[in-house]
Amino acid sequence: MFQETAVNVTSRSSAIVAVENLVKRFGQFTALNDINLTVAAGEKIVLCGPSGSGKSTLIRCINHIEKHDGGRIVVTGVELTDRMTDINSVRREVGMVFQSFNLFPHLSIVENCMLAPMKVRGLSREEAHERAMGVLRQVRIHDQAGKYPGQLSGGQQQRVAIARALCMQPKIMLFDEPTSALDPEMVKEVLDTMIGLARGGMTMICVTHEMGFAREVADRVVFMDRGTIVEEADPETFFRAARTERAKGFLQQIIH
Amino acid sequence: MNSLDFSIVAQAWPYLWSGLLFSLALTAAAFVIGMILGTLFALVQHFEVPVAGRLVRAYIALIRSIPLILVLFWFFFLVPIVLGHLSGNGRPVPIGATWTAFITFGLFEAAYYSEIIRVGLRAVNRGQFEACQALALSTFHTYRCVILPQVLRVASPIILSQTIILFQDTSLVYVLSLTDLLGAASKLAQLNGRLVEMYLVVALVYLGVSSAASQCVASLRKRYAMAGAHR
Repeated sequence: MFQETAVNVTSRSSAIVAVENLVKRFGQFTALNDINLTVAAGEKIVLCGPSGSGKSTLIRCINHIEKHDGGRIVVTGVELTDRMTDINSVRREVGMVFQSFNLFPHLSIVENCMLAPMKVRGLSREEAHERAMGVLRQVRIHDQAGKYPGQLSGGQQQRVAIARALCMQPKIMLFDEPTSALDPEMVKEVLDTMIGLARGGMTMICVTHEMGFAREVADRVVFMDRGTIVEEADPETFFRAARTERAKGFLQQIIH
Repeated sequence: MNSLDFSIVAQAWPYLWSGLLFSLALTAAAFVIGMILGTLFALVQHFEVPVAGRLVRAYIALIRSIPLILVLFWFFFLVPIVLGHLSGNGRPVPIGATWTAFITFGLFEAAYYSEIIRVGLRAVNRGQFEACQALALSTFHTYRCVILPQVLRVASPIILSQTIILFQDTSLVYVLSLTDLLGAASKLAQLNGRLVEMYLVVALVYLGVSSAASQCVASLRKRYAMAGAHR
């Protein structure tokens, strides 16, 4: 339920994402139940948990790809409502990387990166091209700029997807299992790109089971199960001494 | 039986040529009208626009279940009467055979193209829509720049096949006393009594145009099969 009285944003002023009492249902099934999560600017969060625990649904609510059924989501000071202007002003500041890349197959790599800056940010073709090439260089794939997504490896495609999101100069990046669809030898190049991004100070919320990545960059690991946040801790504490049985069981499973 | 005499074809060629040009012009016009309207119809259904969606569905169901020749008749005889009533004085307003042909073929083909595009829209991966949402692209830009280009690519072989059928169907304009390629040949054949030669030559022209287009379809299929081979 939306609380009509809660007009003022009660979250801390440094919070760039504030999720309060979030509820998401798919028909009878409650995918997210009373989620509270605050992310400070520059913070790196790793969301983990068994499949079906709601972690992907949570980040998909943050840019309103899934519409939430209750509670509040405030991103960069804008509360997500049904109003398209609010939704789009949030989406402009939030980049997203999908498990299955979702590059536009009919556009070349550089065109994939130019489309949204031109259509949404109003950049000229030249400006968008310059920005795209700069970001593609940053993810070390500028030499493939003229190719089409189908001609690239999975790892390369995912780096392009990261570049495409970065070209919008977002304040927050969401990663939805970015390495799960990749062959093992390609995981590293994508993780390295993400680590580079983290070092640059980007606010990141990552759904991933790459625990090495979590150890290296996460400020906080958030463990979810059955639609709720079960445990939150810094990575060292979480991996060494998880408090709940559910988290311990999960960690045991992914280590094997 | 007389031996075949193809010299008659050389003399008749200018007339046949003008018939062929009419067939091609009608095909082109019906293609353009049909594709624009068909895309609109498909989008109206895709977005499930309340009343319009149902109307479009009913229109497509109707058009697809009656022969083209009947639609041509309807248009030629009924529309002038309807226009007459609308204009108030009750007298039929003739729209002419050529206009009838262009409008009817355009409207008729729209129903078929619309079905092709509607299916194509459904075939686009959901992830494409989500990527557009995540990039804050407007609905207009999403469809204009991302979704429809992919639909047209995937559907282009079927669209071309449908257009080849359209080209052959243009011969039906003989019921409106218009002279297309087949009409030209059949008039000449009756004049000079060289039915076999005329119909043979016309068949060859149809074969030539259609198989050239089929070659296009085949090469398009090949190209997109390769482009679609990723992942």
